[in-house]
Amino acid sequence: MLMAAAIGLGPLVALAAQTQIFDPQTRTWVDYDAKKARQYYARNKQVPDAFRRQVVPFRTAEEPGTIIIDGNQHFLYLVQPGGQAIRYGIGVGREGFGWAGIVRVGRTAEWPTWTPPAEMVARDPNAVKWANGMPGGPDNPLGARALYLYEGNNDTIYRIHGTPESWSIGLDVSSGCIRMNNDDIIDLHSRVKIGAKVIVLMQGAALYKGV
Amino acid sequence: MKNRLISVAFAAALASVGAVSADAADLVISMPNWPSGQATANILKVAIAKEYKLDAEVRELGTLTAFNGLESGDVDINPEVWRPNLDSLIEKYVNEKHVVEVAARGIDAWQGLCATPDAVAAGIKDISDLSDPAKTAVLDTDGDGRGELWIGAPTWLSTGIERVRANSYGYAKNLTLIEAEEDVGMAAVDAAVATGRPMVFACYAPHHVFELHNIVRLTEPPYDASKWKIAPASDPTWISDSSAPVAWPATSFHIAYATAFAKKHADVASFLEKVDFTPEEITHMTYALQVDRQPPLEFAKQWVDSHASRVDGWAKP
Repeated sequence: MLMAAAIGLGPLVALAAQTQIFDPQTRTWVDYDAKKARQYYARNKQVPDAFRRQVVPFRTAEEPGTIIIDGNQHFLYLVQPGGQAIRYGIGVGREGFGWAGIVRVGRTAEWPTWTPPAEMVARDPNAVKWANGMPGGPDNPLGARALYLYEGNNDTIYRIHGTPESWSIGLDVSSGCIRMNNDDIIDLHSRVKIGAKVIVLMQGAALYKGV
Repeated sequence: MKNRLISVAFAAALASVGAVSADAADLVISMPNWPSGQATANILKVAIAKEYKLDAEVRELGTLTAFNGLESGDVDINPEVWRPNLDSLIEKYVNEKHVVEVAARGIDAWQGLCATPDAVAAGIKDISDLSDPAKTAVLDTDGDGRGELWIGAPTWLSTGIERVRANSYGYAKNLTLIEAEEDVGMAAVDAAVATGRPMVFACYAPHHVFELHNIVRLTEPPYDASKWKIAPASDPTWISDSSAPVAWPATSFHIAYATAFAKKHADVASFLEKVDFTPEEITHMTYALQVDRQPPLEFAKQWVDSHASRVDGWAKP
């Protein structure tokens, strides 16, 4: 996670896509900003309906078990048989996830260790103490589970992971890869298979070819 | 699209050449790595076995390797040759070397730009609408106010031509042209349709996307040979040297077979000339293999069974 600069993606332009929530009743998109999100979460103890785990119609040629990540809309789809998908709300790393392409789930971990990248250690004093790795647990930024995305046999250093900051689902957050509520990442982890195809459609991604 | 995959398919073919088991079959049918080619290659295999008791080996080969094989005798039938995209190969192997025949009957195909229903509802119906920034703003997926347009996979020849068309029509000025693998482009269509977001993208037919979603082709000025100025792609500056402010030329794809094979099996060659798949059937085939994930050979057996009288008709002298 957090490694866009490290792998040389160059200037990440135009990644500040504003989060909107689709209102199916009015078929309009409603702005959703960080302040409102925190307030909403404080009131309701959960994210808005759109970002809650749900089965939705989703016609695709992709095989059941495939993950499709739509960063622009902050949805992750797990393709199911019969023209359906399980849709999860996601938070997207504004700095760290600006590409489109096809990868796969190379490995997974429960309550994973988080190791801040060197750039973060250099700029963030709070990260220094975890330079050699922060043990898994409720406060760990990777949350309850992590899916490690590989291209071929190589770790892309991108992850789909849980987060203790549930209010951030549906937002372009300041850091991180693809983050999900811990309940959701546990659910996804229980369903996904090693080797599962992951298609990433990211906002601005399109500006990049491959990983 | 098939011709677009030459570079990828050729690499795959290089890996498979040499693994020939000469005594295994009566003839060899090359098979492309896309669904309609896989379906038709297997249908020909099953139908030829039914009508002529000949055992055909279906072998996945790239287009260039398949043409070489038709010349060398390693391949007897290529089920899907796209025109005009592969006309240079046809000129070489058919007209100059006289080692390959291309069936006269072709299946109509189409290339251009398509829109999701929500893009149409937003007023994008004709290619000229893409030159209106107020309309294309709805295609924005990255928050910069400019729309995005998927123009194909980086390895496709057609992707460069779509870039030429975007420059020539002028919509390259207010759209970001995206190159990504087809699976990414199609998944983006799936996600756009699922959430009611407008999307415009390069498309071609026959293709299962037309069965998967209610896709609309953008209208545009018809092909005009005098305006279709595509420089040879071998030239590094061919995109900037080209101009094409009109629709793609009429496209079709055909069965090809080795001249030597036709001399040996004139009856099968006559049969191949009569095969009359329709574009709708090709779309159904791609859907069956790509979406329903039917194994190509199993699909072919069922198809031949359910079209027995038609297949018998192809075999009549």
